[in-house]
Formats: sequence, structure tokens, C-alpha cells
Amino acid sequence: MTPDAPTTRNVPALLAGLHTEKATATVLVSGTPGGAIHVRDGMVVGMETPGAPGVEVLLLKSHRIAEEDWTAVRATGADPARVALELVAGGLLGAAELEITGRAALFDAAFALALTSPDGWEVTAPRSLLDTGTAVSPDRLVTENARRLRLLANERGATARFARDRLEPAPEARDPRRVARLSARHRTVLTAADGRRTPRDIAFTLGRGLFAVLLDLRDLLAEGFLRSPAAAPAPRPSTAPRTSPAATAAAPHPTAAPLPRRKR
Amino acid sequence: MASLDTVLDGVVGTPGVTAAALLDGVTGLSYAERGEPGPAQDAQETAHLVSTHLNRAGFTGELESIVVTTTAHHHVTTRVERQGDPLLLFALVDRHRTNITWALRDLAEHTGRLLA
Repeated sequence: MTPDAPTTRNVPALLAGLHTEKATATVLVSGTPGGAIHVRDGMVVGMETPGAPGVEVLLLKSHRIAEEDWTAVRATGADPARVALELVAGGLLGAAELEITGRAALFDAAFALALTSPDGWEVTAPRSLLDTGTAVSPDRLVTENARRLRLLANERGATARFARDRLEPAPEARDPRRVARLSARHRTVLTAADGRRTPRDIAFTLGRGLFAVLLDLRDLLAEGFLRSPAAAPAPRPSTAPRTSPAATAAAPHPTAAPLPRRKR
Repeated sequence: MASLDTVLDGVVGTPGVTAAALLDGVTGLSYAERGEPGPAQDAQETAHLVSTHLNRAGFTGELESIVVTTTAHHHVTTRVERQGDPLLLFALVDRHRTNITWALRDLAEHTGRLLA
């Protein structure tokens, strides 16, 4: 299937078509970030994209599951697709917790993919994915993405730019009394937003969803704790040694030229 | 261990509760619903708004619950702590079938069992 086919003008239309056909397939989306969309009997059961943390990252980085427990289950020879279900069977993870994490990861990946237009897509045979028991209809994904984009901005381009911004602490972030009023969650995000990390980097670092991190960054921006690099004031005057007078004479400053005079 | 469906079945089985939803406390994503919890769509935004204004006013700590009372219903939103981002349990309570004290007590029990 190619992007030029009339029934597949975009990925949501493609997924709607697969839903109608009750198809089972994996859709490979190319571009930045790109990813894989897993469809079973027409329902979307999982998405993987470098643009948002997947189930494994969410479980491990948030410390819901210890690294050694995850490794121990993998070491038993369990089917990699069933690792999360084995954690539930072993009592290491609640069934409800897995449902929540799987659903959160799926919607977050759909949001990350919706921020940019894909270069193309290809429908392939079904591929293996970490099974969480989640199954969502494509129209539910579209509805939720529209709500998320509306919450962050009215224009998709602005949200996409926001998702790439490397926000840095504003002077307010150094006021301990004001910082103390923030929730623990906001304080953690504030610490992670160091001017070098993008929202995606922060999401992967903390084991949280990209959209959740963007909402917290929006709050911190609104309260004046963060600023975008473009909003930073001009750098302080240089304290580097002045150039020698000889060098200055060799290269006169442009403003040293006489001002233009009005012709009579 | 209970699935989300089982847990919400228990919530709507509580006397006076006519609908319930489990939401993400940060994103507002609905994880599960029972009945017709229409007002749940705004529950996360309401909780966020209240929490933000309380913090601006100098209050510290996390918001635990919000009860909005209309002539017919109580809209009860309760924060559910977990490792990671919190959840919100929303319940639509019929004022003519129970009182808010009993409903809050029953909902607190469900909240405690939610992720156990």
C-alpha cells in the first residue's frame, strides 16, 4: 500500500480502513520520528516510536518495575512479547497497572507521531510487540490527539516546535520559596529542564509520557520558572582582553566611517 | 489482581454511584469508564485549575479530592496515588440515593483497592 492510494491519504485514514477490514498488520511509518503501529483484528494494540517512551521505559525508568525483575523474567526464556504479562502473573505488577501503562504508552506514541507529517508508510505482516492487552479503535486515537493538540495550542506547528524546545531555568527557578510551592512532579521536571534536554529527552529520562511532560513544562513556563532559549537576555559584555590598538587600527570599525551627508 | 473493568464495576456497584471513570491525573486520558460519566471529561482540567490556584495562593501539598455539587448530583473526583503520575477516580453520585459522607467513605475504599 502506498501513500498515493486514494483510501490512504494519511495514517488515520489507513488505520480506519484496516479497522473496517478487521485486518491484522503492522504499519511502518517513515520520517521523523517514525515508528511502528501494530493492528490486530482492526484494533490498534500498540505503537512504538523513538518520539515517545514505550511501555518498557515507562515501567523501568519510573521504578514501577525493578530492572532486575524485568531481566529475571527475560532470563526464564519467556516470549519477549509476554514479558509484561509474565510480570503480572508473577505478582510483580498489577493487572490494572499494566493496562494503564499500556494504554498511556499507546496514546502517547500516537500523539508523538501526530506532531509531524510522515514521509510515508508501509503495511507489513504483523510483527511482535510487548503485549499489554490494550486495544483501541483508530477513531478514539484521532479524538484524543485532537484534544491534546487543542490543550497545548491551536496550531499544530506551534505544538511541534514546543516539543523540540530546550527550555532552561528562569531566574524564578532559583527562588527556593517559590519552588517549594510546586508539586513534587513539577519540581522534578524543573530540575530535568536544564536547557540541554528536549521534552522528549525529559520524558525518557523520567519514564513519563511526552504529552504529560509537555503539560508540566507549559505550567512551569506560565509560572515563570522556565524560559525558552530565545527568551534569554543578551549575553553579558565580554570580559576578554581587548585587542591591541595596532590590530584595531588595521581593521577600523565600520561605524568609524563618516556619516552620510544630505546632498544639496 | 483486579483489572480496571472489575474495579470500576465495583465502583458503580456502590449505592448512589451512577457512573464512574478512571482518568490520568496529568493528561486527562480516560483509562476506563462505566455508565455515562459525561462530566468526567472536564474533571482533570478542573483538578488542575484548582491545584494551580491553590499553589499560587501559597498552599503546599497535593490536592486529594474535589466535590462539585449540583441540584441532582455530586461530582466526586479523588486522586489515586501510584508510582509515577497519579490517577483520578471520578464518580457521579445521585444525591437522592445516598449522602455524600457515605459515598466518600465507599469511594475511598475503592480507591485503596484500585491498584492493589
